[in-house]
Amino acid sequence: MSRRIKIVITLIFSIIILALGIGIGTVYISPSKILGILSDKILSTNFSKDVDPILVSILWKIRLPRTLLAFFVGAALSVSGTVMQSVLRNPLASSFTLGVSSGAAFGAGLVILFGISIPFFGIFTLPLIGLIFGLATVFLAIGFASKVDRNLENHTIILVGMVLSLFVNAVLTTMSALSKTQMQRLVLWQMGSFAMKEWAYVLILIPIVVIGVIVLIRYTNELDIMTFGEEQAKTIGVDVKRIKWLLLSTSAILTGVAVAFAGIIGFIDLIVPHIVRKIFGSSHKFVIPLSAVFGGAFMIVVDLISRTIVSPSELPIGAVTALIGAPFFTYIYFGGRKKVS
Amino acid sequence: MLRIENAAMGYNGIDVVKNISLEVKSGENLCIIGPNGCGKTTLLKAIGGLLDYSGNIKLDNKEIKHFKRNEIAKKLAILSQISSIYFSYTVYETVMLGRYLQMKSGMFNTPSKIDVEMVEECLERVGLQDVKERQITSLSGGQLQRVFLARTFAQEPDIILLDEPTNHLDLKHQIELVEYLKEWSQKENKSAIGVFHDINLAIQLADNALILKEGNVVKYGDVSTSITGEVLESVYGMDVKGFMVNSFEIWNKLK
Repeated sequence: MSRRIKIVITLIFSIIILALGIGIGTVYISPSKILGILSDKILSTNFSKDVDPILVSILWKIRLPRTLLAFFVGAALSVSGTVMQSVLRNPLASSFTLGVSSGAAFGAGLVILFGISIPFFGIFTLPLIGLIFGLATVFLAIGFASKVDRNLENHTIILVGMVLSLFVNAVLTTMSALSKTQMQRLVLWQMGSFAMKEWAYVLILIPIVVIGVIVLIRYTNELDIMTFGEEQAKTIGVDVKRIKWLLLSTSAILTGVAVAFAGIIGFIDLIVPHIVRKIFGSSHKFVIPLSAVFGGAFMIVVDLISRTIVSPSELPIGAVTALIGAPFFTYIYFGGRKKVS
Repeated sequence: MLRIENAAMGYNGIDVVKNISLEVKSGENLCIIGPNGCGKTTLLKAIGGLLDYSGNIKLDNKEIKHFKRNEIAKKLAILSQISSIYFSYTVYETVMLGRYLQMKSGMFNTPSKIDVEMVEECLERVGLQDVKERQITSLSGGQLQRVFLARTFAQEPDIILLDEPTNHLDLKHQIELVEYLKEWSQKENKSAIGVFHDINLAIQLADNALILKEGNVVKYGDVSTSITGEVLESVYGMDVKGFMVNSFEIWNKLK
């Protein structure tokens, strides 16, 4: 099957998944009603005048922002994972390798344990502090790595990121052990969730993710070259140190906002890049945009399952991602080998 | 084209190679010979702008250390021994990466007609046109090194630096690689500077030889006069020429 056909199929499936994410839930909303409500809200038409206002409210105020949030969080994490794996030349690297999640969790921990609320930011205090701490951890890791290793070698970055990550985690664990009353809230936040997220979250997230992905698409040639090693990249003319900073920072921002808005959702950033490479090849001009689409759609499926399988309760997104992702990844990645043998 | 005067280079402030002076003119090839650890790769890295140095290393009368990375890449490419591949690309995609700087100057960083033609020509030069849509992870070591050679040609450099490029290659592919380079050098009046362990391959490719021992130049000059039995014995601590002559005698007895 040609790459073009595969891309078309992926896009069609993603649109179907987006529609399912919006339509399915405790209350079913038919595709025609979805289209009518969306048309009325966006284009100011009048197709949904006979539809129950509660349905309109469920779709517009709960399902749509939640599904879009899931899509863009999935896209951000997947693209970020792709960049980390390619830049660090490590198939096991993920967007969390440099300590974004630990830093964000530490920031969120401070907000939850000490009941911090920044004036004007209100409910956004937690994501804001989470984002700031997440990014601060990454920049601290890269900054420290470049101090101890002038060439900013990959193994130095990975080691510094991991050590810093473990250290920050240990501080958070110690803090939360001392404040048992807030521990459950913190643990729940760390498990990840798209529940109770309003449009405001989506409207902040979308431009950051879109701009981040566009910036990364601009550097797909450099990403391709850097997967062959930094010395080779230099001899081909890539300004490795500058590009590496730029790519790692952009992907850290993508992970940072995703974690800040949805909590810690692991695994997707590790498996989606591998699945996309397996299906579409390694060229980043395909891998980056398709990781966004594939990761976004995958996250919607995960969210759909997490909120419907034990409805009206919800399962933690992080756990469901791994539960579905692991067998799916195994099937896609190792399935072909069985046929060959 | 390349002139080195009293250059020294090394790591962490300690010079590994000292007092190097040499010149490579357009169309001339140079081989660098010496035992392990004598500083061959260190010298090559400094010429490639990957390592700091003292003294002078001038490319077209400009110090290498004053070039930007993209300026060096337009004049000088490096072909190393095969290293591990983490993510697989097609042969065509891999060779196209050699056109990075040319694509960068174009709109949307995409290949122009000239880039496509150049890649096709380089694939043809190393005989890989038939496998251009194959994944590089499915190729043999010899084919893979030809892919990287084609990518190096696609950069259109004036000089190609070779760091033990024939390691892991079988005899046929070693000879082929040297022949591709000789043809390129002669046809385009360009130069190859190569680190070789195999003296037979080195003398097939090079016009001049630089022989190193413990970071110092033992001999530099025309291949026919610099690679002597005496020099090789002093460098390797064994009778290399005697071994070669003995091999030839065995060859002559073979049918």
